[in-house]
Amino acid sequence: MITIYKVSFKNLLRKRTRTLLTIFGIALSAWVLASLLGFNKGYEASLNKDIDNMGFQVLLTAKGCPYEAATLMLKGGTGLRYMSEDVIRQVVNEPEVDKVTPMLMQAVFDPNKGESGGFSAYLGVDPVTFPRMKSFLEFKQGGWFTRPDTMEVVMGYEAAELEQREVGDLLLIPEKEIELKVVGVLKRTGTQDDGTIFMPVKTVQNIFNKPGELTGLGIKVHKEADIAAFEEKLYGLPDVQVVSLAQVKQTIMSLVTTAKIMVFSIAIIAILIAMVGVINTILMSVFERFQEIGILKSIGAMPWDIFKLIWIETFILCFLGGIVGTGMAYGLSKLTEILIRNLLPYAPTGSLIQLDASLAGVTLIAVILIGFVSGIYPAWKAARIRPLESIRSEVN
Amino acid sequence: MKYSIILIFCIGISVFSGQSLFAAVGCDLNDPDRDVARLFPGSTGYKTMYVAIDKKGGDALLAQIEDRLGDKFQGLFETADVPYTIYEIYRGTDRIGYIHGVNQKGQYGGIQVFLVMDMEGIIKSLYFQKLTSKAAKELRAPEFGKQFEGLSLADFYAYDIASGKTKIPGKVDQIKNPAPEAEQDFHASMRAAKKNLILMDEFIYGNKFLKYFKGEAQ
Repeated sequence: MITIYKVSFKNLLRKRTRTLLTIFGIALSAWVLASLLGFNKGYEASLNKDIDNMGFQVLLTAKGCPYEAATLMLKGGTGLRYMSEDVIRQVVNEPEVDKVTPMLMQAVFDPNKGESGGFSAYLGVDPVTFPRMKSFLEFKQGGWFTRPDTMEVVMGYEAAELEQREVGDLLLIPEKEIELKVVGVLKRTGTQDDGTIFMPVKTVQNIFNKPGELTGLGIKVHKEADIAAFEEKLYGLPDVQVVSLAQVKQTIMSLVTTAKIMVFSIAIIAILIAMVGVINTILMSVFERFQEIGILKSIGAMPWDIFKLIWIETFILCFLGGIVGTGMAYGLSKLTEILIRNLLPYAPTGSLIQLDASLAGVTLIAVILIGFVSGIYPAWKAARIRPLESIRSEVN
Repeated sequence: MKYSIILIFCIGISVFSGQSLFAAVGCDLNDPDRDVARLFPGSTGYKTMYVAIDKKGGDALLAQIEDRLGDKFQGLFETADVPYTIYEIYRGTDRIGYIHGVNQKGQYGGIQVFLVMDMEGIIKSLYFQKLTSKAAKELRAPEFGKQFEGLSLADFYAYDIASGKTKIPGKVDQIKNPAPEAEQDFHASMRAAKKNLILMDEFIYGNKFLKYFKGEAQ
């Protein structure tokens, strides 16, 4: 038995190219919409993961030295400021603190790096607390240091690759001419740890003659702790500076919001274009079938039947476009991610676009709703056709 | 038409969804514009090419290179997927030579050995971009690099990686270690130079030096 759905579908097949182009237009809008929804979800999740991967939410540094790595780059390893190890005792007993890990960064000039020399940096970490705080770090070879003051190094993957080091090899600290044994090579993490050479903090203090001094103290706070209040408390400590990753996250998110607004504006324009495309396609189809609709009415079709017929055509177009567009969002998510990464001021590691069934469902429903709205005018126009007028126009 | 669209779609999907996030790291010049002008005086420009053993010939090519080298590729980082960066050097529109570097494991750290070669595969100069060694100063001295000038893979075949000696007396014997206490790094440098020349013969010079390896030419 022929149903109204079959009639609508067959009507669409009469102008295949036009129908396909309309479906493609809707699919593009659905792709943009699904990708944006996935981006909304994925970006924040990736950023949170990056911050979690740092192992601590608050970094305490000596005043005037907020960003160790940047300072090393700009001042060639001479701009580091130090704070006393006593700061650990002052912080560790605070109720908000879960764990702390002391760090001491040092750099040496290596005249045999490049044409005019370069710097090699070493991060001294506590062999007990640092691995616990960064429990997600995995080893490609070996493991952490055997003793707190041992002459051993653990290398991030890229640092090991540059130095061609494996477990059991020796590593020379240029300038100091000191040999250390490689006991571990980390797997890639996609973070700054990949390029880091880790040594026990005591060893760094001894080699560089910095007893009892640190350049940073990583603090992991309890999940339920009020980080803002805790930071205020830390500002009370003398000669230290607080770098809060919550603040860093907020700054990044505010930067990204600008990009998001821009991309959302593009999405709205794409959706509007698709809506106009749907209205145009259906309206043209109605005008082309002016006489047919008149005949249908003259043999007993009610305005609501005609309205439904046209509305279902819109539904079919939008449903198919929505399915294709959601499929494109899944299939081309890597391409979309590359495009978005080029657009953003800062992109965290990990997947920026996280699509799932619920997002696909939301996209499909949104596209169908847009289709229904777009179909109202052409369907209403078709429902209002007068049979005699339309049949007469055919005679003319 | 239908099949073309499907093919393009499939290629697109495989390119964009199958990309590995991390790849092995090759050996690039730190500042190519400056370094090329300095290493190849008279050059006016360069083109950069990337070649990897796994893409060029896979396991068979790796086996052939190891055979010619007389040593296996070893460890975590000397693998077939390492992308080699070859700088093709131009004077005006004329191609006048190549610069190519390799990473080499040294006693205390990584060594990056670049060879500057003419169109015939003859070494014009040797440059250690990075050298972590107690004898770095001596090995990076111009006098050491000069000993490689004028040599080619035909000369380096005589150098046996395993023993660190030449099988038959030749020009490579004239290369003297400037720091006997750093014998390991000297041999690492020699291995890097030989490996570099073999890779260039495979990638660029169309295996013109293979006949010397097979003993068909002297």
